Order: sequence, then C-alpha cells, then structure tokens
Amino acid sequence: MKLLIPILLNTVLVIAVYLLDKHTSWKKLPYMVKQVIIGVLFGGMAAFASGFGVEVLGTVINVRDAAPISAGLIFGAPAGIISGLIGGVYRWFSVLWGAGTYTRLACSLAAITSGFLAAGLRKLMFDNKKPTWGYGIAITVVCEVIHMLLIFLTNMQDTVTAFTFVKGCTLPMFCGNAGAVGLAIIAVSLLSHERLTRIKGSEHIAQTFQRWLLICIVMAYFVTNLFTLVLQQGMSQIETNAVITLSLEDVHKDITDASDKNLLEIAKKVKDEYKTNPDLDAIARKYGISEVNIIDENFIIVASSVAEYVGYDMASGEQSAEFEVLLSGETEFVQEYRQTSYDEGFLRKYCGVVLDEGGFIQVGYDSKQFHSDIGSNIVDATKNRHIGKNGFIAICDEKFNIVSDNEEYNGTSLAEIGISLDLQNMSEKTVYQCEVLGKPYLFGFTVAEGFCIIGAMPTDEAMFMRDASLYTSTFMQILIFATLFVFIYFLVKCVVINNLQKVNSSLEKITNGNLNVTVDVRSNAEFASLSDDINLTVKTLKQYITEAAARIDKELEYAKQIQLSVLPTNFPKNEDYGIFAQMIAAKEVGGDFYDFYKLNDTIVAFLVADVSGKGIPAAMFMMTAKTILKDLAESGMAVNDIFVKANGKLCENNESGMFVTVWMGMLDLATGNLKYANAGHNPPLVIHKNGEGEYLRTRAGFVLGGMEGVRYRINEMTLDPGDRIFLYTDGVTEATNAEEELYGEERLIAFMNQNRTVEAKKLLVALKADIDEFVGEAPQFDDITMLILDYKKDDVGGNVCERVFPAEDTALRDVLGFVEETLESAGCPMKVTMALCVAIEEVFVNVAHYAYGDGKGDVKLAISLSENDSTVIFRMSDKGTPFDPLKRPDPDITLPVEEKEIGGLGIFITKKTMDTVSYAYKNGENILTMTKKF
Amino acid sequence: MMTVQIEKNSNTVTMRLEGRLDTTTAPALEKAINEECKTSEELVLDLKNLNYISSAGLRVLLGTQKKMNKQGSMKLTNVCEVVMDVLEMTGFADILVIE
Repeated sequence: MKLLIPILLNTVLVIAVYLLDKHTSWKKLPYMVKQVIIGVLFGGMAAFASGFGVEVLGTVINVRDAAPISAGLIFGAPAGIISGLIGGVYRWFSVLWGAGTYTRLACSLAAITSGFLAAGLRKLMFDNKKPTWGYGIAITVVCEVIHMLLIFLTNMQDTVTAFTFVKGCTLPMFCGNAGAVGLAIIAVSLLSHERLTRIKGSEHIAQTFQRWLLICIVMAYFVTNLFTLVLQQGMSQIETNAVITLSLEDVHKDITDASDKNLLEIAKKVKDEYKTNPDLDAIARKYGISEVNIIDENFIIVASSVAEYVGYDMASGEQSAEFEVLLSGETEFVQEYRQTSYDEGFLRKYCGVVLDEGGFIQVGYDSKQFHSDIGSNIVDATKNRHIGKNGFIAICDEKFNIVSDNEEYNGTSLAEIGISLDLQNMSEKTVYQCEVLGKPYLFGFTVAEGFCIIGAMPTDEAMFMRDASLYTSTFMQILIFATLFVFIYFLVKCVVINNLQKVNSSLEKITNGNLNVTVDVRSNAEFASLSDDINLTVKTLKQYITEAAARIDKELEYAKQIQLSVLPTNFPKNEDYGIFAQMIAAKEVGGDFYDFYKLNDTIVAFLVADVSGKGIPAAMFMMTAKTILKDLAESGMAVNDIFVKANGKLCENNESGMFVTVWMGMLDLATGNLKYANAGHNPPLVIHKNGEGEYLRTRAGFVLGGMEGVRYRINEMTLDPGDRIFLYTDGVTEATNAEEELYGEERLIAFMNQNRTVEAKKLLVALKADIDEFVGEAPQFDDITMLILDYKKDDVGGNVCERVFPAEDTALRDVLGFVEETLESAGCPMKVTMALCVAIEEVFVNVAHYAYGDGKGDVKLAISLSENDSTVIFRMSDKGTPFDPLKRPDPDITLPVEEKEIGGLGIFITKKTMDTVSYAYKNGENILTMTKKF
Repeated sequence: MMTVQIEKNSNTVTMRLEGRLDTTTAPALEKAINEECKTSEELVLDLKNLNYISSAGLRVLLGTQKKMNKQGSMKLTNVCEVVMDVLEMTGFADILVIE
C-alpha cells in the first residue's frame, strides 16, 4: 500500500511535465535545459521513492528505479541519465541516514544502470520517441533483473543472505516498478490520444522476429528450468539425504557405542562373577539384566537363567547364530538391540564373552535397563550437533517422546512439533517432508538401541541451491532474451529493414513516374538480386512504355488529323457574310470543334462546341455530337429544338458520362436576325460595327449529354451589317500564364475592340499570338477554338485604315494626303491614285460644304484594301444632316459651254471614277461607301 | 500646292499651272485670271505640270471659258493624261479648246 504513493506520484510528475511541455512557454526552453530540469525532477522522485520503502521479510522494497526509467523513456535520454545518477548517488549516501548497507552498492548501481538503459534504448530502439507501455514494462523488468543480479554479484561471499534478499523483494519490486513505468506511459499516451493497442496488420518485421523469439525463448526457458529444477531437486535431495543420514549415523554410532560398551562391561563382570557363583539367576538379578546363558563349544545353551532356553541350539536362529564368532577366535561380541531368534516378537540386546574353559557366556538385557544406563550419553549425543545451518537432531524414545535435542523440544512428542513417524511404513535414512512449527522441513530417521533418531532440515535450506539456480537462471535468461531482443531488432533493421526501406524509397520514385531511378542495394546477395530484378523490370517496362507511347502518339496523330479533317475549311467570304474559324489543339486530340453550313439561301448556321475531357473518347464524342447537330439543323428545326433532340441522343448510352457545351446560332443573312441557343458554353462576343463589343450573356442552358429532358431557350437578336460575332472555347479565356492568371474575358474584349476592323483571318492569328504572349512559357493547356462571323462586312478581307478629319476645306490636303499615302502603300498605280483622290475630294468637299450647315463636324474616312484582289473600299461617314448625294441626277455633260452647270459635277466625277458607290444612313451617320478595283 | 507663272505678250496671256488644281487652289487661279485677263484676247493655260484637277478646277475653267468667249479665246495646252481623263469624263474635253 505504501508503495502506491511513489508509484502514483511518479505518474503525476510525468503528467505534469508532459502538460507543462505541451501547453506552456516551457516548450520554448532549449532542449538540454529542459532535459536537465526533468532529470533533476525525476532524480528527486527517485530519492523520494527510496525513502518510501516497505519492509518485506527483512528487505526494504522501493520503486526508486521507476523514476529514471520513466524520465529516460518518456522525456529523453539525458533526463534519464541525470535522474539515474541522482537516484544512485542518493542511494549511496542514504546509508548515512539509516538505509541498509547490504544492498548499497547494488541499489546505487541499479538506479544508474536503469537511467542509462532507458536512455540508450530510447535512442537506439525507439528513434528517440516514447515507447509503448508494453515495452516500458519489459524494460523495467530488465532493469530490475539487473538490479537483482547486482545484489548477487556484489554479495558473492554471502550468497545465502543475498538470495534471501532477492527472493524477498523480486516480485514486489518487479511489480512496483513495472507498474509505475507502465502507468506513466499509459497516462501520457492517453493524454496524447494515442492507441494503446497495436493496429492490426501494421507489425514490423523486427516485431515479428521479436515475437517468435519471445515464444522460443519462453519455451526454452521452461524446458531448461524444468530440467534444472529436476536436476537440482534430485541433487539437493541426495545431498540433504547424505547430510541427514551422516548425522543420523553419527548419533546412531554414539548410542550403540555407549550401549555396547555398557553391556560389555556388564558381561565381563558377569563372567567374573560366574567363576565364583554359578547361580545364573542370582547373577542376573544382581546386575539387573534379563538373562544369562552359558553356551558350550557345540553352540548349545547348557545353562541359563531362563530355564526354557537350556538346550537351545544357537545355530538354529539367525540372531543367535551371530555369536558363532566367539567359537572361532573372537573373545567378545556385542550384538545390537534386536529381535531374538527364540521369540520374534521380543527385542533384546546380547553380549557374549568367551569362557576360559571353552564356550562363552551370554548376557542379554532389555531396553528399559540399558536406557537408564546410557541416559546421559543419549542426552549428550545431540549436543553440538546440527544438520546444515538451521537443521536439528533429536532423539526420542519408543513412544516418540523427545529425550534429547539441541533445541528446546525436549520433553515434547514428535507429533507436537509436527513430525509424524510411522516405523512400519517408513524406512530409515530416507528423507521425508514435514512441517516443524509451521515451517517446511525435510527429515530422516534411524533407530538405534530402541531410540529413534530424527534429523531434520528446513526445506528452503535444503533446496537453497535449487532455488538459487532457478532465480539466477530466470534472471539470466530474461537478460539474455532482452539482449537478443535488442540485438535481433538491430540485426533485422540493419540487414533487412534498412535495405527494404531503400528499395521502397526507390520504388516509390519509380511509381511516381521516374523510371530512371535504379535500385542499388548490394549489402547481401538477396537484395542485390532483388535490385537487379527490379531494375530489369523497370527497364523492360520503360521500353514497353516508350514503344506504347510512340504507337499511341502515332494513333493520336491520326486521330487528330481525322478530327481536323471533319472541320470545314472552305471559309465563305462574300458580300453577305464571311466566316473564318480555327482550332488549335493542345498536345493531344481534344474535343473542341466548330462548324458552319448554310441551311438555305439565306440562313447560315454556325457553332462552336467543347466536349468534356480529352483524348480519343472526347474526339469520338465530338464526332457524334457534330454529326447529330448537323443532321438536326438540316432537318429545319429551331435551334433550341435541335439542342433538346441532340441532348436526348447524346444521353443515350452515354456510359462514360461525357458531355459537350455548344453555342449555336442561325443567322438570316437577309435581315440580320440571329437566333441562337447556348448549352453551357462561353458567351460569344458581338462586336458592333460602330460600337464597343459585348458578351452575349443570355442565360445558358445545361450542357448536352449531361442529363435527359433538359429544355433550352431560344434567343434572338439582330445583327447590323458590319457587325461581327466571335465564338470561342474556354481555351481562350482560360489560357493561364506562369503566375496562374487567366487570359480572361476582359483582355479578350479589349483585344477584339482594339482590332475590330482587322480582317478575320489575321485577327485570329493576332489573337493567338496575343494569348501566346500572355501565357509565356506555360504550355498550352486546352484546345483553343475560335470562329468569327462577319455580317455584311464589305471591307471583308482587307486592311482598314481609318482617319477622322474636320469637315472643312482646309482639311482636304490631309484627306488627300491620307488617301495617296494609303493607296501608294497598297501598290495602287499613280494614275489611279490621282483619279481616286479627285473622287474623294468631290465627296469630301460635298460633306464639308453641306453636311453640317454652318456648324462644325467631323468626317471619317476609312480605306480598306483587300490584299488578294486589289480592291479598295472607301467609306466616308459624317454625322451631319441626312443627305443622299446619289439621288441627285447626273448633270448633262453634253451641254454647250454657256449652258453647262457646275453643280453635281463633283459627285458625278466620283461615280464615274469609282466602281461602286453606295449611300446609307445608319446610327445617325451618312455613310458613303465606294469601291474601286485597280 | 499650286503655282501659276504668268507671261503677258500683248493681247496674249500665258499661264503655266504647276501642281494641283483643287478646291483649295482653284480660288487663287480664279483670282489671277480675273486680274490678268481683264482685256486679254487670248488666254493660254499651259497644264504641262498640272497633274490634278477636281470639279473646283473645272468650275474655274468653265467660268474662264465663258468669260473668254466674250473677250476672245482660251486654250489648254500640254494636258496630261490624268487631267485629260477628268476633262473627258465630264464632257469638258468637248467644250474646251485643247491643243
């Protein structure tokens, strides 16, 4: 009970230090400072535990060793060592204030060893981490084993006392210390929310080895100990037997010697008496003996104090026959107290002395008679005699009352002290067990001259060697096992686990895709072979992968080509509309596509779509989607109905869960009416001819192929001539640069606004270049698909140069300069340029003079040059009074001078010079468009 | 952008036009003719170095022609192709004397 206090206190201290380290500023202290503080704390704990010992069987038991072990295992090697040293030193000096000196050295050393052992094992076996409670208990047991062995070792000259100590304190100290350490570790584990039991299946190889090693050693332990037990038991018994028997024989001899001597003296006296007095009866009475016989040379009793013996042939009985020695030379013979030949149920002691005239005289007496004669000898016989150290010898009479012994049993009966003797069933000089005054004893007995001689020895003394060897062998085996345990752990770790880890780390790299890693563990043949095999496998694998990759690349290339080939490339470019589109696939084949087709004379359908995912599946899905959409569109359905139907078809058997986002429009070229629907696609960009661009942010429907029964709305808008619509996939807006920034809609609309007059094909090239510049080094992540539709853009396919001038005559120089410059750079012949200048001057002057009345305004002149068919398009616009100069009839140029008028001549020149001239009034602007092919 | 060289010889005035005869330069020519040819009987416009003419120029030519018809005569010499095209296009080639 008293031991519980230091055990619990140790746990409390562990918890306190753990919490302190975890939750307070204490953890900021340097490692060594912390360790020293913990070491001192637990050193104090060890000292405290020493003082709180419990005396058991004369041995002081304490749990001093628990403190350094706890500190070393839970908190760190230095703390364990320091607290062990403090505990050990304290124990050494505690002798000064009353601690026992007997185990002084052993206990001091044990405390220090415990600290070092805990510290070393934590470092070497547990990677400087806290072990589990099972290990903690095992290590504590090993420490205590060392403690016990140290008690033996330091007291080799007195093994019996040492053994008594060990025997007394082994179990309580093992339990106490192991309990304290186990409890402390469990407490910390619970606080840190660890599992107390091992997770199944996570056993290490070393642990498996250790487990089986444990089983083997435990079995070996039992077998060897059984053998030792039996052997030592036998040996101890033989030895005990020998010791007891020897003592018994000594006493036996003392008694018989005394008895023989006594009777011989009596016999000699009787012989002398017989010489003068032949009355045997009287002689017998005189000497207090039972009988006197005279035997002649023929071995026949010739005279006796007992009349019936006369004539008895001595040779007829075994007992009496022994006396024959007296007829063959001996002069005297004393026989032991025994049964007589004459009467088996009768015991008597005889002695014979040869008579001078021949024959011999034999005297016999009974025990009662000689007992009184040799009484003092009996008492002396056990004096100064003992068996072993604590054994005793006792002599008792025929009634088993002790008559002589070395202890204080005199006068008591054998039964009273606990020995039950049964002469009939027990044999002499054999060792039996008994309990003398409650203590186990071994005893033997012998009978001498009617006395019983008992030799007894405490069992533990008799079995000391056996017990001592059992303890030492147990301790040694625990120590051996512990050493083997650690050793095997290291061996397995060095030979197998470290190599396995090397192999594993290499394999991990390989698994992660780096096939250039080789495994190179060559510390033994098995691992070298394993390394080679893995390397060969990886090499082969690499080869296969390369081949497969090449094949797949080739096939993907085909797929890409097929995919591209289904996209229309005959881009229309005429007065009504122009379309240009481009798909730039990322590395592999993707699911982007565009399409356009005329449904009838006036309606053109166009779309851009993006299939989810990449690779062959996406490409195949794309083919299907494209075909379905086209089939449905050509059947004359409305665009939203096309989507509903297409969605239904794409949902059928769509096990792979692919889907496609589509934006599809149908443009009536005659009216500019655009009907469109959006299935989850990016909003297209409409760039108005005379305004900014805007995203068509109508609410998009669900993707096609994603879910059955989805409805789509149809939207409508009107495109004005010159408007442009730009469809694209998210590859454009989601192009990402190295800083993870997206190209985005803002950048796109800005670019498209800025280049609104650039011809479609050039624009797409420029846009791609802009995206590439933005993305920089980052690889193209997604397909980029773009489609531009220009509605009635008459400057389709040319460079547009545009300038705004004040609507005044003074600006003419600049206007003409601009025209000349532009045409010259386009390679227009000088003569044509001049003619065109005249034509432009006429319309410009016209605007300058009339458009704004007396007010001021601007004139915008745009010159577009198509590159392939050397056509120049002039567009002059002003915001003045609506006025169509073309309505004025042409002047009659055939009139004679006097009738000729100058008015209308300018426009006439223009009309004549240009191939076409047209007028429009739109958005508050007079627009005059002129074309000329040169 | 246009220069006029005037050469008076008794009743004949020869004007050598160089550059462009357009909206901006036509008033200058008109003014010069009005000043120099008040009494002249013959006006010769040498257009050798004139490579541009617009309707403003035509208007000056027409006005001058009408005026000269009352005083005497007017003729254009060395008309280049570009200018000739305009004159022909507008029917001026038929009413003007072009040598």
